[in-house]
Amino acid sequence: MKMETKSVHIKALLAICLGLPITILSGQTEKLIVPSDLKQQTVVTEPVTLRKGFLRAGIIINYRVADKYFDNDRNKQYYLNSQWGTKAAYNLTLQYGFTDRFEADLVTDYMRNKVSTTSVEIVPGTNSSVTSVTKQLGTGLGDTHLGAKYQIVPEKQYRISLTGLIDVSLPTGEKNPTNIRSATKYDLPVGNGAGAVAGEIFARTTVYPYSFSTYIKYYYNFEGSKKLAATDLAETRFRFGNRIEAGLSAYIHLNEWIVFANDFSFYHEAEGWAGRINSITIPESWAAVYAPDLVFQVRRVRVGESISIPLIGRNVPADPLFIISLQYVF
Amino acid sequence: MKRWWPNIHLIVLAMSATLIKAQDTGQARDKYVLLTTPYNERQLTLYRGQLMVDAGYKFAVRSVSYDENGSRQLLTNNGSGSVYHYYYTDIRYGITDFVEIGAETNYIRHGIRTQTERYVSTSAAGTTDVTLNNIQEIRGMGDILLLLSLRPPLKFKWFDLSLTGGIFLPSSKYKPEMPSNTVTSAVANTFVINSYSRYANGYGVPVYLVSGAFKAVFRKFTFETDFTFRTPLKEGTSIRWTSTLENSKIAYTDKSYTYLASNEYNLNAALHYQVAGWLEVYLNGNGLKTKGGWTEYWGNKYANRETLLVNVEPSFEIQISPRLRICQVAGFPVSGKNSDASFYMFTSIRFSDFLR
Repeated sequence: MKMETKSVHIKALLAICLGLPITILSGQTEKLIVPSDLKQQTVVTEPVTLRKGFLRAGIIINYRVADKYFDNDRNKQYYLNSQWGTKAAYNLTLQYGFTDRFEADLVTDYMRNKVSTTSVEIVPGTNSSVTSVTKQLGTGLGDTHLGAKYQIVPEKQYRISLTGLIDVSLPTGEKNPTNIRSATKYDLPVGNGAGAVAGEIFARTTVYPYSFSTYIKYYYNFEGSKKLAATDLAETRFRFGNRIEAGLSAYIHLNEWIVFANDFSFYHEAEGWAGRINSITIPESWAAVYAPDLVFQVRRVRVGESISIPLIGRNVPADPLFIISLQYVF
Repeated sequence: MKRWWPNIHLIVLAMSATLIKAQDTGQARDKYVLLTTPYNERQLTLYRGQLMVDAGYKFAVRSVSYDENGSRQLLTNNGSGSVYHYYYTDIRYGITDFVEIGAETNYIRHGIRTQTERYVSTSAAGTTDVTLNNIQEIRGMGDILLLLSLRPPLKFKWFDLSLTGGIFLPSSKYKPEMPSNTVTSAVANTFVINSYSRYANGYGVPVYLVSGAFKAVFRKFTFETDFTFRTPLKEGTSIRWTSTLENSKIAYTDKSYTYLASNEYNLNAALHYQVAGWLEVYLNGNGLKTKGGWTEYWGNKYANRETLLVNVEPSFEIQISPRLRICQVAGFPVSGKNSDASFYMFTSIRFSDFLR
């Protein structure tokens, strides 16, 4: 009787020892990650650089009006004369992951700049008036940007990733006024007229559903030449001051597919010059900018909406910049 | 002739009874379900104990206006295009399932340029050249609006009605600030005058508001319409500034005047489609008309201009979490009279939860 009881106990113990791990194992589900899932990751969950073989194409639309600016004393002022300007850039972006840590970027601009100026000249003596209207439009391919990103400290191994970036700006856009009909009637230039190279260090940590990042970037602007006015017979040498930029970002997943981002950035551009003889100064400028951003991830499609608001600054536009982006990972 | 009145009452009573019968009553109250209820299943007012806070931002580009004949005038042609920034917030609370209270206010910043004028006069003493730039800025908090909304004490199923009454308290500044005009002269007998006037955003007097809304649902489609009427309680008094150039200095004096704000009539009619539980898209037609009122100039009262503006607004609302929703509206002006016709984008984020 005792032997039978002992035998039952041993069987029960064996059953528990064997059964428990099976129960535990069956309670856990192993999530299989397929490549298509990786292409659906959000701006928070995806790695800093694209995975090997992934290609992301996108369109980014930037729009800004010319209504206010920060003057030399950091006061926000309206443009007082009757002038209206808009600036829109349509960027085509291509990003490709050569390895899991190295990505190359190509950004092209299609620009549409518009300025309307008007004034009425009144001569009381002759009781007459003349209204002058100037409409200028500039459209066409702007400058081209090439970029390379490399994860120096990859995210998989450490809680904080560190990425190095190099950007090269090529002055491919038309830099001079064209189709000149008079001093005030011509097509606006759409290019800067000078190249630039920038280096950046970017750090990020992700604690789902949050991610935090910071960066510092330095632009070196090369010397260039262009016509500063439509009536100029020859091009003038010029150089924009070098620029330093730094930022902090905090991203939060509002749900599984919508991310709310908050970006704070600061940039400073040193004084530049134009003209070797009787040189004029391109004033030093800086701004602190806040940009809230909503990013929707619908499968492989990513739609972003952002508004970049200059909070304070000096010698810079004070109008918000609207950005809408649409991207797809192939 | 008066015999038809009781008949109307009977018809209304009969209709109400039919409608009441058509709407279900009683169901378990689940706060999570109520917070995530799609638009086509939601009543017009908040549920009992529900708190909702809205914060929104509207960016508008004022590049077109309608003249008195309803013709479109391209403001960018005379360089007087502008933008405005409008920030909005409201808070609402459901006292019961059919009584809601709320408060709302806004902040606006809008600068309007007028065409630059240059005066050239020649005399024996020489030529005098004066350039005049003019900008008028409207900036500041709007009056606080207090609201009370009622709806029939029925569980919402496919139709709803609401009636809202409210008052704008004259809580914000309404008198224009002293202008800050400048005169500069870089060359002899050549002057640039920059005129900068600053206006506030308040009515200056209490303004009543009455509004009615109706909502009807057919499967995933919802039709909603509302009509709002605003009228001032009384005449107001404000000031006008005049400036005089005296010995190279600008002296400012103010003079008071009386006014009666115009009545406002606002009609919305929208067709909503519930794409998914979390996404709703809709197309709204909005008509805003102002009429009546007057403004005093030099002791005489002149009628305010009647204005009209009709906008079409494609919009969407996304439920991003049980407590949060995002709504985005794009506004396209289609017709009007004596009114600016701004294109705008309005984005708002809405937080909602139950306090009890």
